[in-house]
Amino acid sequence: MKRIYFFWLISLLCIAAGGSSQAETTLEKIDKSGILTIGTRRGSPPFAYINQNNDWVGFSIELVEKAVLPALSKKLNKQIKLEKKESTPQTRIPLLTANSVDLIAETMTDTQARRDSVDFTLTFFVTGAQFLVKKGSPIKGLQTIANRRVAAQQGSTNARIVRERVPTAKLLEFPDQPAAFQALAQGQVQAYTNDGIQLAGLRAKAPKPDDWAVVGDFFSYEPYGMAMRKNDSDFRQAVNVGLMDAISTGRYFEIYEKWFGPKGEVPYPLSAETKRFLQMQVVPK
Amino acid sequence: MTYQFSWTVLWSGQTGAWLLQGILVTLQISVLGWLAAVALGIISGAFRTVPIAVLRWLAVCYVEFFRNVPLLVWMFFWYFGMPPLLPEAMREWLLDHGAEFWAAVCALGVYHGARFSEVIRAGILSIPKTQFEAAVSTGLTVLQAYRLIIVPIALRLIVPPATNETLNLLKNSSVALTIGVAELTFQTRQIETYTAKAFEALAAGTIIYLALCLAIATIMSRVERRVAIPGMIVRGQSSEF
Repeated sequence: MKRIYFFWLISLLCIAAGGSSQAETTLEKIDKSGILTIGTRRGSPPFAYINQNNDWVGFSIELVEKAVLPALSKKLNKQIKLEKKESTPQTRIPLLTANSVDLIAETMTDTQARRDSVDFTLTFFVTGAQFLVKKGSPIKGLQTIANRRVAAQQGSTNARIVRERVPTAKLLEFPDQPAAFQALAQGQVQAYTNDGIQLAGLRAKAPKPDDWAVVGDFFSYEPYGMAMRKNDSDFRQAVNVGLMDAISTGRYFEIYEKWFGPKGEVPYPLSAETKRFLQMQVVPK
Repeated sequence: MTYQFSWTVLWSGQTGAWLLQGILVTLQISVLGWLAAVALGIISGAFRTVPIAVLRWLAVCYVEFFRNVPLLVWMFFWYFGMPPLLPEAMREWLLDHGAEFWAAVCALGVYHGARFSEVIRAGILSIPKTQFEAAVSTGLTVLQAYRLIIVPIALRLIVPPATNETLNLLKNSSVALTIGVAELTFQTRQIETYTAKAFEALAAGTIIYLALCLAIATIMSRVERRVAIPGMIVRGQSSEF
């Protein structure tokens, strides 16, 4: 019996050690393979999703293709290819740590706790938590959800805020958007909270968008960043330079317009304040 | 690249309480699901062997339908599919009182019930046919023969595979997180959300599941030794755990 425990301890330790013995920097890895591997989502429109033509696209992905890849190609003096892998809130940090992906480009909020485990690029999108409800619902925002059944996505920052600020709300956490939306559509819950932009995306993709409403003031601040392994500042610098170039040359705003403009997938106008904030992240050359 | 392990996240702040809560919920749905599964398993396992065609056919339908549909689908069915069939007031009441918990219990119960049924059928079939004939010839009805003789013997024979099934049930209870039940796996994910320490949270979950399963296996091996029928299942004590 003792030996079995011992065997388990050893194998666990091996798994743990395997993750941390790595000398190569990310730039060296990319230089060697010629491939940048990103972790992204299949079901988070319009940031990263499978579209009607079965292509894996989205704002975050296009940002990597048009801003990050050129910067990396320039830095390493060779054409870098992109490879996409599915990541979820639960797997994205382990995927990075295990070297399975080099960059998380989806809808990951930059937080102080996460910065203990990974590093983030500059902020590439700003949103805040809101509620998706059936049109005409009495729920109007965070003040009106006490004693109501509210869905959230597991592993999201919003669930945490609801739990802390309105402990009387009955919070139900689902692993993905489709399950949470199904629960809302069936009346299992009366509201679904997530980042405002994701709710707008979900509403736009719903069979009858007009049946749904995104309500409430932002009750959280959700700056999206791309995450990478910690203490790899050369790679971080290369990615940030790509993003800064895209913002200063205006290419970022073209991509933004394509996805979030009036004719985009999910109309979500850029406020003057946010635009200014994005521009001020660009440091001089 | 170095990952900084910090195991203290597992007991600092609220995380310890979350893990305990998770263990509690996992045990609750597992125990309730297990009771339902064993009850369903005994009934349908016995039905499959009785000399009454309708009952056999009924049990075959139950087993083949419920064990061949993925557990995940049963979770969704009991949570999303059942409530709309209930009257409005009842549905609202249920949804306000942990519908996801009972949906998980039902899903685990019917799914593992179908699997237990096969275990129990195997146990019954391993009893010599003459035993049943002898029981009936003493004047017992089929029901009495099953209730008093066949099923009790079968239950004493099937402890090893039933242990297997029980361990599966406990681990499968983690599927309940897909419908929002805050069980152990759910809580380890929650710890990951709050602390961004994925490896520590996963390791804690793994060790807790392992400990729970080892505890069950130990208890069941005691039970196995105690209820074993000499000559039918015991073959020396070589399988000492």
